[in-house]
Amino acid sequence: MSVEIQQIHFSYGKIKALNGIDIRLPQGAIGLLGPNGAGKSTLLRILLGFLVPDSGEGSVLGYDIRSQQAMIRRYVGYMPEDDCFIPGMDAVSFTSYMGELSGMPRQEAMKRSHEVLYYVGLEESRYRMLETYSAGMRQRLKLAQSIVHDPKLIFLDEPTSGLDPQGRKEILELIMDISSKKDIQVLISSHILPDIEQTCSYVVILNKGEMAAEGQISELKQVQYSLYELKIKGEEQAFLDRLASMDSQVEQTEDKLLKVYLSPGTDPQDIFKIAVEEKVQIRHFVKSQTSLEDLFAKVVGVD
Amino acid sequence: MTIKERGYAHWDGELQDGRFPWWPITRIGIRLTFKRKFFKFFFGFTLIPALVWLVGIYVSERLEDFKFMMEGETDFLNVNPLYFKTYFTNDFLLFMVVMILVFCGAGLIADDLRHNALQLYFARPLKKRDYLTGKAAVIFFFLFIVTLIPGIVFILFKLIFAGNFQFFASYPWLILSVIAYSVLITTFFAFYTLLLSSIGKNRRYVSILIFGVYIFSDIFSAIFKEIFRSHYFYLLSIKSNLQQVGAVLFDQRTPWNIPWYYSLTVIIAICLFSAYILKQRVRGVEIIK
Repeated sequence: MSVEIQQIHFSYGKIKALNGIDIRLPQGAIGLLGPNGAGKSTLLRILLGFLVPDSGEGSVLGYDIRSQQAMIRRYVGYMPEDDCFIPGMDAVSFTSYMGELSGMPRQEAMKRSHEVLYYVGLEESRYRMLETYSAGMRQRLKLAQSIVHDPKLIFLDEPTSGLDPQGRKEILELIMDISSKKDIQVLISSHILPDIEQTCSYVVILNKGEMAAEGQISELKQVQYSLYELKIKGEEQAFLDRLASMDSQVEQTEDKLLKVYLSPGTDPQDIFKIAVEEKVQIRHFVKSQTSLEDLFAKVVGVD
Repeated sequence: MTIKERGYAHWDGELQDGRFPWWPITRIGIRLTFKRKFFKFFFGFTLIPALVWLVGIYVSERLEDFKFMMEGETDFLNVNPLYFKTYFTNDFLLFMVVMILVFCGAGLIADDLRHNALQLYFARPLKKRDYLTGKAAVIFFFLFIVTLIPGIVFILFKLIFAGNFQFFASYPWLILSVIAYSVLITTFFAFYTLLLSSIGKNRRYVSILIFGVYIFSDIFSAIFKEIFRSHYFYLLSIKSNLQQVGAVLFDQRTPWNIPWYYSLTVIIAICLFSAYILKQRVRGVEIIK
């Protein structure tokens, strides 16, 4: 296991950010999902050693998160969410500098920085001042600095934020290339569910500082619920209340489509029984293909 | 060529535990400072006092040749600890030191704060101590060039021009004074600059602070001294405190009628306060409670 933590608690003053998180992450690309304030960034910061948990134990790449933070940082790459760079430098100097700070010899760091900038598609602009870079170029640069020292594990915090569709596609391709073929583990924290679905096979969903779901995406989608889409005619509210009372969750889209998430063991026939009892006509009934977005909506709750 | 065709390649080297993990920070800090507009010209200008004092040492050994300039003055260009103290504590040099700090020190931490770069540093196997040492070493580099190095060069050239070790035999402790004062002034200004650089995110704002705090501490101390007729108000002045301690280190009479160790206490207190604030301000992640 590359990342293994048990009963991690962390608070910002009186605000509980993480409440008893247990994670054992397998190899490969892993998605870290959750709404704002779920504790994703706090978890990444604890794993990197920026923050010390109030209680709980854990290790990253076999190094203890409380006492061996320097070793963790040596072998982990981090791509922060914020726009960050050092003014007055060009991309080659910057990336090489980051390599040196990770423990690479100076000449090697310089050579390697050319390679990774070429890899992320910044070869043409590697001698340009970073202040002149666009948002997309800076995003690539952040990725380059996170892989310059050839880490065993990379933490990517919102890697596609601020990118146009083409830039996003290319960054995701890079992430998939790194994680699928190069025996480097990638942990991606993102709000953008399709990105996670495209790049990761395993997902961890946090909600309000607690673990909402964890597992292979394909398994979670099957085990967690069945999704049905229906359109009805008649007294809507009473029908919805009855559905909610049978341990299911209902989401209504703008075009009056009802998405009903049924828990495992619930018979879809019950929906028809309730419709009969509440004198509601079901005009449309389809067992839907579930997406990560549906899973996310189910486990973190739909407003 | 597409990304997939390029492919990612592993690096086959070994990451090392450097003995001086702060050194890359210092090297880059120095390089970035030299890249600043007009800095090279300005830095050359700050070396003028050292050049003048060096010429003075040469002239002192060739007084016979320069007799026409003396006009009966017997103490003309007597190279002794007072000569060194005058160089190290003169207003112009201290002013130039502050101006160097504006160029090389204002952005040291402020730029990193402004561009969220601290998390890039601390995502590496760097300790807070390494980061601050690396930044402080940039200031040490530039200030030693205008303090420690000229001081040692003065002594060496005095010995060379004299052709004997008489000067060294007369003041064997002088080199220690030069080192002690250079270290004191540089350490103080390193703390002072890093403190101010860490409390703002704007380099220009920090530059004004570095300059303003130094100048206004001197102005206010002079005003209070005139109002209350007490030399103790010189303790409010950065410049006066450094001059006071400098005079003691060069075995000279203190310029103000207050115990020198009061000034030393003020200097140490500012350093400790700066260290405390830096510990709070410099961290890999900004925590908003």
